Amino acid sequence: MPQYALVIDLNTCVGCHACATNCKEWNTQAAFGPLSDYDPYGAHPSGVWYNRIMTYETGEFPDTQVFHLPKSCLHCQDAPCVPVCPTGASYKREQDGIVLVNYDDCIGCKLCAWSCPYGCREFDEADKVMKKCTLCIDRIYDETLPPEHRKPACVLTCPARARFFGDIEDPNSEVYKMIKERNGFVLFPDMGTNPANHYLPRIETKINLEEFEKHILKPDNPLFLEVMKRHHVSGKTPEEKQQEEVR
Amino acid sequence: MHPPLSLIFFFLTAGTSIGSFIFMYFIEFLLLFGKGQGLPKEVVLKLGLLQLILIGAGAIGASFHLGHKLRAWKAVKRFRTSWLSREAVFSGAYGLTLLIYLVLKYFDVNPFFEHFFGITTFILGVLSGFSTAMIYASNKFVLEWNTSITVIYYLLMYLMLGSTLMAYFSYLYNLPYLGTFIFLSFLFLALGLGFRLAFNIRQFYLKRPTLNEALNLPHNRPIRVVDTGSTTDNFCTEEFYYKKGKELLSTVIPVAYLLTFVVPLFLVLYAWITGTHNHWIFGLTFIFVVVGSALERWSFFVEGNHVQNLFYGLYPEQGYKLRKGFMEKKETRISLYG
Repeated sequence: MPQYALVIDLNTCVGCHACATNCKEWNTQAAFGPLSDYDPYGAHPSGVWYNRIMTYETGEFPDTQVFHLPKSCLHCQDAPCVPVCPTGASYKREQDGIVLVNYDDCIGCKLCAWSCPYGCREFDEADKVMKKCTLCIDRIYDETLPPEHRKPACVLTCPARARFFGDIEDPNSEVYKMIKERNGFVLFPDMGTNPANHYLPRIETKINLEEFEKHILKPDNPLFLEVMKRHHVSGKTPEEKQQEEVR
Repeated sequence: MHPPLSLIFFFLTAGTSIGSFIFMYFIEFLLLFGKGQGLPKEVVLKLGLLQLILIGAGAIGASFHLGHKLRAWKAVKRFRTSWLSREAVFSGAYGLTLLIYLVLKYFDVNPFFEHFFGITTFILGVLSGFSTAMIYASNKFVLEWNTSITVIYYLLMYLMLGSTLMAYFSYLYNLPYLGTFIFLSFLFLALGLGFRLAFNIRQFYLKRPTLNEALNLPHNRPIRVVDTGSTTDNFCTEEFYYKKGKELLSTVIPVAYLLTFVVPLFLVLYAWITGTHNHWIFGLTFIFVVVGSALERWSFFVEGNHVQNLFYGLYPEQGYKLRKGFMEKKETRISLYG
């Protein structure tokens, strides 16, 4: 059974919030909108967002690393928010595994939000219904769009190309391969929710500058001149460049 | 968790209605076996009318926590999977069968049908209370609630409300069951206190998940929340973390214990031992239980910590510890910035 999901590369996510703002922009005017704002120009602006970005720091000073965690509905394969809904408004589609809310049936009891361990459902105080990420279902099946645009708004906008979309159950899909090859992980694996959205872990890249300075940047290194030349696009040493500029 | 006032109101009204009906009908039920003297028709009708008004008011009050009140009828659709749906069905059916029972009683139609609807109402009342408690107890993401103690003491509080009201009615109408209801009030107050204490003590020993578990990181890696992505509170931080409530909680819980259990227990014991029976003592016992239960419910909601608070750095990390022979709340450092 297909299961559409997002795969987010924490290695390249720069925490720019572009995915969140583009999600808000698209979904405010699309089929599942609007995403209401309360007091948007006041001192305490707030509103409904499908996607929020958290920033965490791991390690102890000075060996710390900061990473950003974009968090939207994880479209769990055993979604705990679905069975608790008293009206059946919250449901999981069989054909693609997307969890949706039928706004016409939602009574706004908030029990589904209580049953989500990720805090990915938000109550719209203006529409009085529960809202959540739809994986841009109105984009991905829209045949009027060019095929390369049939992706969630957050995936299309990500400037760092940290977000990927596809069927995680299809062995030929890009996201399936990414999860397998790069040890994709899920949030809260012990909760029994079996989330569909995966994250690709950070890979710690360390540049040993000491080694670099000691051995390679020494003038007596036979490769020194080579390194310096390659370092400059022109292929000329700084002295040669300077001489050219003087001329 | 943010305490919805409409649900506290529903607890008080439905609890009093169902609790008192359980005792009222049980006396009538014993008549089938030739035991006891039953209740005068006037008392059954007056009490029944009160129970009907209370469950009706509770149903209307509870709808105020819904976004769309007029769609509330749709809550019957997922009876198979949702405890909230079951609660809606059982509470509605309880009100309906109670009305039929009272009509049959009023017109003295047929003892068979009267008792048939009486038994049905009794069962539906218990099921309604059980389903309501299960909404909380089945939520495995609020560890404080996710226990059978929640269900037991929820039902015990229904019986507390019912027995103290019945004791007052027994005094008002000079019924021969006053002694019985004084004993039952004492019994359920004591049991309620015991299970409420168990509910609180259990929280000290909860094995709570950590942010490392939430983010699937090694357990020994230090981690802290740097930014939560918004400059102000949002739905998640308001619904699942009631900041004002958390500040007031340490004051409200002792007051709730006093008003719900300690003072009524003292009053009931005083009435039992000294034989002092008057309006004040039984009226005050019931009022104390009602006011205390409201505070107790409020505390119940505020005590609940949803695991999604982990992502915002708002989940308790340290909990409680035993020091010098008494439980002391550890300084739980909850801060967004370390």
